[in-house]
Amino acid sequence: MSDTLLEVTGLAKHYPVREGLILARQVGVVRAVDGVSFTVNRGETLALVGESGCGKSTTARLVLRLIEPSAGTINFEGVNVTRSAGAAQRAMRRRMQIVFQDPYASLNPRLTVADTIAEPMIVHGIGDTASRRKRVEELLGLVGLRPFHAQRYPHEFSGGQRQRIGIARALSVQPDLVVCDEPVSALDVSIQAQVVNLLKDLQRRFGLAYLFIAHDLAVVKHVADRVAVMYLGQIVETARKGDLFTTPRHPYTRALLAAIPHPDPQRRGQVKPLGGDVPSPMNPPPGCRFHTRCPFAQERCRIEAPALRRMADGHEAACHFAETLPPAGLDFSGGLSEIAAKRLALYARALAA
Amino acid sequence: MTDLLTIAGLRTVFRTHGGEIAAVDGVDLSVPRGRTLGIVGESGCGKSVLSLSVMRLVAHPGRVATGSVTLDGRDLLKLSNADMRDVRGSQVAMIFQEPMTSLNPVHTVGFQITEAMRAHDTHASKAELKNRAIEALKRVRIPAPERRFDEYPHQLSGGMRQRVMIAMALACSPKLLIADEPTTALDVTVQAQILDLLRDLQQETGMSIILITHDLGVVAEMADDVAVMYAGRVVERGAAGAVFADPMHPYTLGLLGSVPRLDEERETLLAIEGSVPPPFALPKGCRFHPRCPFAVDACKSEQPPLRMLADGHQAACIRAPVEAFVA
Repeated sequence: MSDTLLEVTGLAKHYPVREGLILARQVGVVRAVDGVSFTVNRGETLALVGESGCGKSTTARLVLRLIEPSAGTINFEGVNVTRSAGAAQRAMRRRMQIVFQDPYASLNPRLTVADTIAEPMIVHGIGDTASRRKRVEELLGLVGLRPFHAQRYPHEFSGGQRQRIGIARALSVQPDLVVCDEPVSALDVSIQAQVVNLLKDLQRRFGLAYLFIAHDLAVVKHVADRVAVMYLGQIVETARKGDLFTTPRHPYTRALLAAIPHPDPQRRGQVKPLGGDVPSPMNPPPGCRFHTRCPFAQERCRIEAPALRRMADGHEAACHFAETLPPAGLDFSGGLSEIAAKRLALYARALAA
Repeated sequence: MTDLLTIAGLRTVFRTHGGEIAAVDGVDLSVPRGRTLGIVGESGCGKSVLSLSVMRLVAHPGRVATGSVTLDGRDLLKLSNADMRDVRGSQVAMIFQEPMTSLNPVHTVGFQITEAMRAHDTHASKAELKNRAIEALKRVRIPAPERRFDEYPHQLSGGMRQRVMIAMALACSPKLLIADEPTTALDVTVQAQILDLLRDLQQETGMSIILITHDLGVVAEMADDVAVMYAGRVVERGAAGAVFADPMHPYTLGLLGSVPRLDEERETLLAIEGSVPPPFALPKGCRFHPRCPFAVDACKSEQPPLRMLADGHQAACIRAPVEAFVA
């Protein structure tokens, strides 16, 4: 079962900060990603969550080698691809594809949908013109578009439809791993649900593994098998989805979960916001990076950086006091009223009919 | 009697090559004093044009065609431009989704806050304005406001920028604050801070808030009353508790079904099929009927008016509540 597809160890990306125009000297380093390790198994979804600037998108791009890592290794099916080049790199890239966040910016406005979807196949030398055309038609059907859409241009589509085109493009070369970089955050809620459903359906059918980058934990709860929470360039907690939502171990994970507004006016005012802002990745705090905002911080947290420690049943957390924190006291239950649930069931039935 | 703002029969149209299209098409709403009205809907439903119509900021080729917007007994649509300028800022203020694009990057935070104050108080001295601006920054809980006064927007984080926007909007103590997706661009922990702040400021000042959002969680957290908009019309309105506990309109149901919830696990989310029709290609009859799983022939011919289904709870659907029609 645990058939590891992608294994990332100690991945880091440091950007030098320079000052001056001609003889620019380095004045600092932005540690965008700072020692991140995780695995993605075949057919599973690992979600990387965190707030803006935590390094989750940089991590995604490092995995695909769209940017080069400063340190660390990337193993794909047991083969070290951190420094691969030429034909080997192209072969690896066929098997790892990406779906971008912004469906408006990630499609070439001058290419028809057919050309957009066929482009990866041309790059990788798959098939001939006729077979590619057939495959494009098949892919359009898979993502819920119609064959006549093939000859249209991106501007003729809505955001949700464009995201479907982006997904079809990623699937055209039959990848094993798809990196989804915030694929639904630019979409309206009703459309978000359509795309999430599509991604899950495609995963079931083709055994895809997803590295799913997101900031919306409710969406993550719906799509992920395992979740890794990032803060300031590091992973602070990883766990199976169920464990993470029922017993979050890291104070930051708790704060994230507690900040989600619940769609139920009965429970208003339960959100207790975390104080302060994310510190600058150029000058992260010493010790535990979260200590400046952590309600449980103690002297030790200011000095000693906690390592990611394995706890019960595969749950890992980077907190000195993960075992002794008081219960999280999170309660997500009781969202829908009886009558609302009943009507939603009728809605679902009518939709299926 | 205690309504601060009453919108009646508001219709805002845009002139296009294909004729006039109505982005807001016959909307009636009211906001009681000291309360929060949440307006929910997806992109293109007309919620932002509605708020710009209240502020009389709809840009050419758009204009408010008919209707009235009554604030404290005065119809804002009938005011002269000069009188309306006085109303903006001092009576009604607005904050927007993108705090970065709504702040001027070449002026300091302090300059921008005092600019708004100066517009409504030409006599105050520079030092006095500065003190008031620092007070305003303090009120939105910006740490070290004296230092922030001289900083530029790019030196602030997203949450801080939104606080500055709020400080600016509240600088002249308006009676009504229109917040158009105030937290959509922010992270969830920062969103929680900003919502908390808005709630506290409302308690302190007794202002009314119109909160425009697509996020049902934010509405549930903040709003006393809710109006759900679809394709330029209000399809359901009522007290927040009633709308969430007893959702009547199929579109409201669809929205509730689309939101992934933390309290349960479903294999598939209940998506609404299709997308919002553009205002130049509105379907006949009920505008939601092409996407509605409960639609019948009658929905295709007649545009349903809002009707009272429970105490103070209205929905524009001939098939609501659905269980009465679908076994």
